[in-house]
Amino acid sequence: MFTLINTILIGLTSGSVYALMAIALVLVWRSTRVVNFAQAGQALLSTYIGFECIGRFHSFWVALIVAMILGAAVSALIEVIFMRTLFKRNTGPIAGVAPIIATLGLLGIIRGGIGIFMGGKEAIIRPPLSNVGFTVAGHTLAFSPFKLVIVSAVLVMMIGLSVVFTKTNIGLALRASAYAPEIARLAGVKVDAIRTLGWSIAGAAGAAAGMLQTPNGTGALSPDSLEFSLLLVFGFIAAVIGGLESLIGAVIGGLLLGLVLAVVLMYVNATLLFVTAFVLLIVVLLVRPQGIMGKKAGRRA
Amino acid sequence: MIGIVLFLVGNRVDELRVYEGATLAMYVVAIASIILLTGYSGQVSLGHGALLAIGGYSAVLARNYWSLPIWLCFAVAVLTAAAAGAVLGTAAARLSGPYLAGTTLALAVGLPSIANQFSFLGGEQGLLFDVGVPPNSLGADFSPYKWYFWIAASAALVMVWWLQNILRSRYGRTWRAVRGDEIAAQLAGIHAGKSKALAFTVSSGVAGLAGALLAMTIGTVSPSAFPLTLSFSLLTGAVLSGVTTLPGVMIGAVTLVATPEIAGAISHRLGNSGGVTTNLPGLLVSALLILVVMLIPNGPVEQLRSVRVRRNANIHR
Repeated sequence: MFTLINTILIGLTSGSVYALMAIALVLVWRSTRVVNFAQAGQALLSTYIGFECIGRFHSFWVALIVAMILGAAVSALIEVIFMRTLFKRNTGPIAGVAPIIATLGLLGIIRGGIGIFMGGKEAIIRPPLSNVGFTVAGHTLAFSPFKLVIVSAVLVMMIGLSVVFTKTNIGLALRASAYAPEIARLAGVKVDAIRTLGWSIAGAAGAAAGMLQTPNGTGALSPDSLEFSLLLVFGFIAAVIGGLESLIGAVIGGLLLGLVLAVVLMYVNATLLFVTAFVLLIVVLLVRPQGIMGKKAGRRA
Repeated sequence: MIGIVLFLVGNRVDELRVYEGATLAMYVVAIASIILLTGYSGQVSLGHGALLAIGGYSAVLARNYWSLPIWLCFAVAVLTAAAAGAVLGTAAARLSGPYLAGTTLALAVGLPSIANQFSFLGGEQGLLFDVGVPPNSLGADFSPYKWYFWIAASAALVMVWWLQNILRSRYGRTWRAVRGDEIAAQLAGIHAGKSKALAFTVSSGVAGLAGALLAMTIGTVSPSAFPLTLSFSLLTGAVLSGVTTLPGVMIGAVTLVATPEIAGAISHRLGNSGGVTTNLPGLLVSALLILVVMLIPNGPVEQLRSVRVRRNANIHR
């Protein structure tokens, strides 16, 4: 019984982090139709920034906020410098593939750069709150104050983003330029600026994912750490399962993936994690090729 | 042409170069499979490393369990990978752009870890691949590496020649038509799904051969021989070659082989600190990738061709 509860709790926590990463990917996809593989790299960079901040200010929370702000700035810069040029110059058969390739290249550059400048250094981020599980009736649950923070951070971001998207003018502009950029432009929306905004929110979400995930695991930070491969692959799978279009889909995808992986981890075998993720993805996509919350493209012919 | 040059060069240079030559031939085959899939059929695969793994493992298993002759092992590798590709391709034909990229990415990460599950696949250590000694007729001082190089180079030659032909044939035209405009192609009577699945199958078979060649050159297969970075660097090679131009395939392959060398030289200059040595190759490849995508997105060969076309147009005006 306690194993089952722990499984669900582990699934919820890791699922929340995947959901954060998936939210970042969905935001970028919605604003520019680009799958941002560099997102994990940006998260890594932001986490390193956060690590440096902890050294300066001795507060995890200040560092988290600084990392999110700078992560947003980096993300906006990437959009302005790389993506705009890419869209202007790219025509012909490669146009569909070019953004994927460019973001993969960025991922490599960020990883390599961090590896060269920070690789030799030992970097550990400790959880700011106790990461020892709550004790209920003599059993230790796999749920600690810090994990509670992770889950609630995702909830807050999720609610905050849905409020922004549905209740504010900026949200309206974000949605408009995602669905019909030309018409939005005609209606006076500064589509380019809005796209950059979408990227920067995504950068902040990714930074939060990195900052929360690292101390939740071993706490060690390195350019080729497993944590960030997990973020890259599982965040992406969560986003695709959710349908890439919808924020709610991203959260559902993240939690579903987290729960399924937790079941495999607790009841079967840790080496099967990646295979399970693949099978889950295939099953979801075979049943619904556009993802759980994705809308079917209208018939064009 | 290139092949003859390769053979001549292969006899003149030292062991290390010959070994790199075999790797080069492997990359040529692998990149060609990506070019076929992405450039001609318009599907993105981030998981070709997994198909290479399937090819590599099946070649090794065929060799170890049935002790088939080496060329039959390669055939087994091609067929197994193509069969896997057919299954995947049927699923892939339903998916577009990012969904396909996601599926193949998950495959590349997931598949190699299966090897840890089954003992006959050798786990983390992997399996030895014994290609056998070169035939005596080639002379006593014929080194195994040279023998690998001959096998790899001839396999690469045959593959590229065959791909060139298939791309010029009806199938190649069909793939390009579907890539250009799926709906228009369907109106013209092409079954888009079948065409995509076929492209995926062929590409997987070619990738399987590349996997067998890779297993041959490093002498073993293990999960760590097919990391995610392999899939990424193959895609990089394809972009550097120009994804729509098969003849450019050498450019990408040479770059992939040369980058570690150049990076090694640079980091030696900088004093061989650990961080630089391990990270510089990746950094260089990525930087090159970004530059190519930003500046000559359709690849050097295509760029040259369009410049020439423009110049001709000016002359005739």
